[in-house]
Amino acid sequence: MSGSNHTNRAGESPETVATPTNTDDETTTTEEGSELERSIGLVGGLSVGIGTMIGAGIFVFPGIAAGEAGPAAAGSFAIGAVVALLVALPASELATAMPKSGGGYYFVSRALGALPGAVVGLSVWLGLVFATAFYLVGFGNYAAAVLLEAGVGLGGASVVVPLALVFGVLLTGLNLFGTENAATLQNYVVGLLLTILVLFLTYGGLDALGVVGQPSTPESFLPFGPLPMFTTAALVFTSYLGFAQVATIAGDIKDPGRNLPLAMVGSVLTVGLLYIVTIFVATSAFGSAQLATFGETAMVEVARSFFGVPGAVLILLAGLLATISSANASILSTSRAVFAVSKDAIIPKFASRMNLKYGTPHVALAMAGGPILVLTASGEVAILAEVASFLHLVMYGLICVALLAIRRDEPGWYDPEFRVPAATFVAVVGALASFVMIAFMQPISRRVGAAIMIASGVWYKYYASDVSLKGAL
Amino acid sequence: MSDDRPDTSGDLAIRDPPRVLVPVEVLEGQTIPQTLVEFLAPAELVLLGYHVIPEQTPTEQASMQFEERARAAVDDIAAAVGDAHTDVETRVAFTHDEDRTIDRVADEVDATAVLLPNPAGDISEILVPLRGIVDVGRLADLVATLVDGDDKRVTLWDLTVDESTALLDQSERTLRDRGLTDEQIRTESDDVEFPTRAIVDRTDEFDIVVMGEGKQTLLTTVLGDTSERIAEGAVAPVLVVRRDRSEDGETDG
Repeated sequence: MSGSNHTNRAGESPETVATPTNTDDETTTTEEGSELERSIGLVGGLSVGIGTMIGAGIFVFPGIAAGEAGPAAAGSFAIGAVVALLVALPASELATAMPKSGGGYYFVSRALGALPGAVVGLSVWLGLVFATAFYLVGFGNYAAAVLLEAGVGLGGASVVVPLALVFGVLLTGLNLFGTENAATLQNYVVGLLLTILVLFLTYGGLDALGVVGQPSTPESFLPFGPLPMFTTAALVFTSYLGFAQVATIAGDIKDPGRNLPLAMVGSVLTVGLLYIVTIFVATSAFGSAQLATFGETAMVEVARSFFGVPGAVLILLAGLLATISSANASILSTSRAVFAVSKDAIIPKFASRMNLKYGTPHVALAMAGGPILVLTASGEVAILAEVASFLHLVMYGLICVALLAIRRDEPGWYDPEFRVPAATFVAVVGALASFVMIAFMQPISRRVGAAIMIASGVWYKYYASDVSLKGAL
Repeated sequence: MSDDRPDTSGDLAIRDPPRVLVPVEVLEGQTIPQTLVEFLAPAELVLLGYHVIPEQTPTEQASMQFEERARAAVDDIAAAVGDAHTDVETRVAFTHDEDRTIDRVADEVDATAVLLPNPAGDISEILVPLRGIVDVGRLADLVATLVDGDDKRVTLWDLTVDESTALLDQSERTLRDRGLTDEQIRTESDDVEFPTRAIVDRTDEFDIVVMGEGKQTLLTTVLGDTSERIAEGAVAPVLVVRRDRSEDGETDG
């Protein structure tokens, strides 16, 4: 819809496929009158949100977080949940007004303009790359633990990163060539995971409270003082990135006015509750110092302490499933993030090409899978997680600012089905909380994140500075 | 429509003229055989060109690249069909779930029947399996409307387990009332264990199968609609008469 002179360096201009106003519960209608079917329901939306998040919070972080904050790590997860909710509400409102692929990038670029949009769009692409690499390393830890449990000799060498890389290649390939109905499978995987976790945590919770088994002696809630609770909150915030992934598939969600807010808020509440109980159970079973020595697979030891070997095996399998489902959902979100910026001519249009034979976006998937493998090779769990959170938090803050901007002078087309109550308050607190959380990260994560944002801005100035997106539907 | 028939439109259980939804997987090069187009001449056609994409691809992305091609292909088919039909509506859809899309469009256009295409030659032998009391009136009405002329023969095949011939009698009476001759109607009755298999096995004797869509049961939810399974195995096209949506008021989720 932009004028012909608003082009990028390659002479491409943003493409409008369909305006957000041409949307009903079941389809989006394109400018030429074709129908785009919305086929993901509430269960599918929840499964994307929960499936993305659950791998990190339960199966990777408990040991690490308890080591840094003690039992107060439960408080860290609670802080994360509150921040995520403060952003999920504005994101829900914007998504019901603009139920389009691209999620946060789309809102920010339309409400605040092309430069913030481009920075968010490119940062989130890379943020998702960092997150996926993090999930893959988490998977590698579980796969290595499975080998160990099975008594397969490792010859002393760590197999975590090689296993993560192999699986990264496998998942990317599966998305490139697989045309089977993977979403239904994902729904069942998430359902199975939730069942295992609820049973396990219920038993563990009763045990910790002394209802069954031996009551455990609680250690001090804040063994290291209050500050580590906040720095740990910044570290584990990666466990809450998934709700925004629901917004990136907004264009495919049925009845978006109802399902988008429910899926985003519902998935944050579900995983938040599970995370807090998990930390409570884990720190009751072992002291936090001992948990920290178990590292990424601490939950396996917690399960072993309750149920012996069968419990350990069950949680190992659950961990494999959860980290795979997180990594896979993130690869898909990455490819959609690439599509969203490419459609708007922020990067070459070539990136949104797909092949007719498989019907998959092969260029975007390659732009996801390639960098993911490079980062996975680093094997740095904490830094990968923090940079991913940094880049997402910048977007979250700007989503809140976008809501403020769009509410201030509501354009005629703006007609969200869901309106945040006390929007100004929620958005201001949400934006501040997002930016403050960044302040608690390690300096190296902040530097890497800031460098990526600056590079994104420079790219925009160089390649697409004439592209204007503000209010361009 | 032929004029030498008694005008019974007031009593029809289906809309007149009937409207047939023809889904075509348009970028896969699927087309509609001309003989099938001629057979459907008494009906209005809604041509739905659709393209199925895997879930990893946003529908928006697919439409950006393939919309023009899909629309051009649908227009081509519509032009070819236009010789026999004056009234062809076209729709184009991109979807992750073709069943949902076909169902939705059929609802929106109030389609009497949906065509599940298979290759077809000249159409003269029509198989009408009767599997239950549901919609027999609509089924017979549609068959009667489509069979204009003396060159086509209808085989009514009762597959219900009970001994009663009420279904056959009712259908035969409708066809006769609508002007079909004795030579054009044949009735058969069989008690088979697997009706779906039995129908598939006989499709090579016939040029088209016209059947009701039947009820949703646990089995159809697990295995897919009976008519779809028949269309997959059959060598002939299958025309599925839809339930009367105005009466059951049920919304498919």
